Amino acid sequence: MSSRFDRRSMLKGMLGGAAVSLGVPLLDMFLNDNGTAYADGSGVPVRFGTYFWGLGLTDTPAGGTRWVPKKIGADYDVPPELQPFAALKNKVSVFSGFRAIPDSSPNLVHWSGHASILSGTAPKASSRFDAASFDTKVADAIGGATRFKSLDIDASVSRRPVSYSTRTGSTFASPDASALELYRRLFGEGFQDPNSDNWSPDPSIMLRQSVLSAVTDQRKALMKSVGREDQIKLDQYFSSVRDMENQLAIQLQRPEPREACVIVPEPGEPLKSASIEVVNENTKIMARLLAMGLACDQSRVFNFVHTAGTSETFIGGQSKIYHQITHDEPTDSALGYQPQTSKLAGLVMDGFGAFLKELDAVKEGDGTLLDNSLIMAFSDTGYAKIHSIENIPMFLAGGASGRHKAGQHIHEPGESVTRVSLTAMQMAGAPVGEFGTGSMRTTRVISDVMA
Amino acid sequence: MLKLLTKITLVAGILIPLAASAQWSKSWVIEWNEAAHYFGGEQGVIDPGTDCPAGTNPELDWVEVLVKAGYTREEAEWLRNPANPTRSPVHGQNQMAFRGEGRANVYVNPTSYPDPGLTGVSGSIGEGIDLDGNDDTGFVSPNGEAGIDNTFYKTLGCWKTYRGPERLSSGALQFNDSMRNGSWTMVIVAEGQGNDPMNDDDILVGFYMSKDPMVKGGNGEISADYTYRIEPHAKYEGIFPARSVDGKITSTRPVEATLRNPGYTRDLELLEAQIKLQINEDGSLEGYVGGYRPWEPEYFGWVNARGPVIESLTWVELPAVYYALRRNADYSPEGANGEKTHISFALRVDALPAYVVEPDASILVTSVKSYKDMVPPADDSPRGLFSRIRIVDGLVIDPSAEYQAGPNAVILPQDR
Repeated sequence: MSSRFDRRSMLKGMLGGAAVSLGVPLLDMFLNDNGTAYADGSGVPVRFGTYFWGLGLTDTPAGGTRWVPKKIGADYDVPPELQPFAALKNKVSVFSGFRAIPDSSPNLVHWSGHASILSGTAPKASSRFDAASFDTKVADAIGGATRFKSLDIDASVSRRPVSYSTRTGSTFASPDASALELYRRLFGEGFQDPNSDNWSPDPSIMLRQSVLSAVTDQRKALMKSVGREDQIKLDQYFSSVRDMENQLAIQLQRPEPREACVIVPEPGEPLKSASIEVVNENTKIMARLLAMGLACDQSRVFNFVHTAGTSETFIGGQSKIYHQITHDEPTDSALGYQPQTSKLAGLVMDGFGAFLKELDAVKEGDGTLLDNSLIMAFSDTGYAKIHSIENIPMFLAGGASGRHKAGQHIHEPGESVTRVSLTAMQMAGAPVGEFGTGSMRTTRVISDVMA
Repeated sequence: MLKLLTKITLVAGILIPLAASAQWSKSWVIEWNEAAHYFGGEQGVIDPGTDCPAGTNPELDWVEVLVKAGYTREEAEWLRNPANPTRSPVHGQNQMAFRGEGRANVYVNPTSYPDPGLTGVSGSIGEGIDLDGNDDTGFVSPNGEAGIDNTFYKTLGCWKTYRGPERLSSGALQFNDSMRNGSWTMVIVAEGQGNDPMNDDDILVGFYMSKDPMVKGGNGEISADYTYRIEPHAKYEGIFPARSVDGKITSTRPVEATLRNPGYTRDLELLEAQIKLQINEDGSLEGYVGGYRPWEPEYFGWVNARGPVIESLTWVELPAVYYALRRNADYSPEGANGEKTHISFALRVDALPAYVVEPDASILVTSVKSYKDMVPPADDSPRGLFSRIRIVDGLVIDPSAEYQAGPNAVILPQDR
């Protein structure tokens, strides 16, 4: 039976002198018979995230590896350092052999690798990218309908919060660096429980929105009265105002009910140590909060840092940090690899395994939150001992609501890392046809993993 | 960069003519270079071998080092604790510097600290060139050639950073990876007046910088036969008169040359410099560039790479390196009785066939000449490896940090 309403319909009216919009809940009539997609054929919204860890995984100078599967294609074998997500391997594609190509830029240690992956360009200087990180393009494409366009999370317990998400190249996002911060962002002031029966628009938000609208109405006149430089400044200012308006507008809409959304208890005080045990525990707690934030549709895009490029983590009780060990530990002649480095790499991957498990534990329709997500995980380096930017480990995890043919090992020695980035962007729903500059410019996606 | 299929072809849309000069010329790009350190072990890096019977210099217990330098055990353990906020995961523990007499900075005042000792190479086999023409000094090459002068290797060859099979020492891997990723490029041009490059008594061999990064193939290795423009450089250039016999090119007269060094010290300044290179059947070139290099800049190269980091990562006390280099230096520019400011050294070089063109890409280079006059004198001001950070006396100083290392620093937190 046809209806004049669809899932995008809004119920409009006036409240207290202000216009309000009321979203329509996700009704059965909007879904297909299986409840796995909208009736018009479009999929359940994809969530996209980046997951970063520092110091790569273990290669050896003679060509050995502790993380590259021997088998290419589906049903790949699981090398020791990938064991932490062995149970989910059918939901994770592994990309090996890909490299950052700096052209005339230097290899800025612990920087050029992930800067290339995220921005498509090897930067000329550390501490900045020469282009925006691509997660912002994804956020622009799919993150506008939620309370937070993207979430930035740092589980590393570093001395300074770590984020590699940037729109300008010079200013990076300010992440939530503790579970408590993340909890308060997601479920603190401004949180709208999509399953609450007692929802009503917040008058204070309505008032703030009307103030912002008034500012917007006057902006054209103001823009005409100032010089070029001030126009640029005002334009940036009004852009941020518009973002705020969008956020407020969302809070004036009744959220769609979300069966998977369960508000979790507030975590305790943050832990203060960068030992790998603490970082992984932090990762697990923050992943659980993030999963609920995604399930409750507070955001559809996130950036998660497990450990920084120059990782500060260490095994509790030892005097050496992981970063130092990657450099100073010799390759064991009998084993053929750096054993302590490999052990730490495995512990770091424990964090990734726990992260994925949390997303896979949330049921959504016939699948899980992980099935409706795409997480691009990567590091800053390949063989960390020499700061190599060859064979940087990269993974795509999650089904992307059916767009990702997961569970494959793609081995493309010498290919640019940007091909994986472009593939991820397209599967996440960003309308991007090419990515990167110089030798890393590409229009070629990795079609083998795209449904 | 375009791949040249013939010697006369298009580069960037321009037909490149050949210059009429020498009877023959060849050119290469250096795809690998490292200090020529013979590895006498069977495998690994730290394992014993004929070069270093006890293996590399062992890893140090830094707590004991600090205690020996006058810190209390509690202070030493706290300084080495990763949870200590004064210990940077990137730049190390600055307080490590202050262990000299009166807590002087041992990196810049190494003689304020007693020589901790550094075990050198005790084997008899070494790689390089007979610089002094004396068969009775130096090592015997792996092929049995006597008189190989490479005291740098004798001094530092059991240091973990320099030790390892060819192309596998951590220092060589680190800097060659950087070079191969575009940090710098050096090319070699040879010209001869005879008819046969493999046997010619009158050869000139030039080493030049290029502004063009090397190109990697799908396997990650450097590809041959690409084209490189010479980048005139006021410092990095070397021109060697030589001869060839059965493809082996050797110097006929020592020269002064400065090459781009694959190490923390960028300048490889060589006195009495010579070459010993072999043209292989596949057209590649391999061999050595040797000479006497000043040892003190090499030491301070390590210091300025951040003393605390280098010491921790490479298992050595930097004053030990200072004393060892000073003790073993074997050459003075002022003559036999002058102060030994230089040490014999050899750089192992692997190069692939390449096309080398003039700086403006107008013509293939077929003769060896100096390009130094085309550029202003080199800037000799100190230039660290880490341009983005300021290194003072071997330390990265964060002026905004609450805690500052130094001779009078309070080591233990006051709220403990």
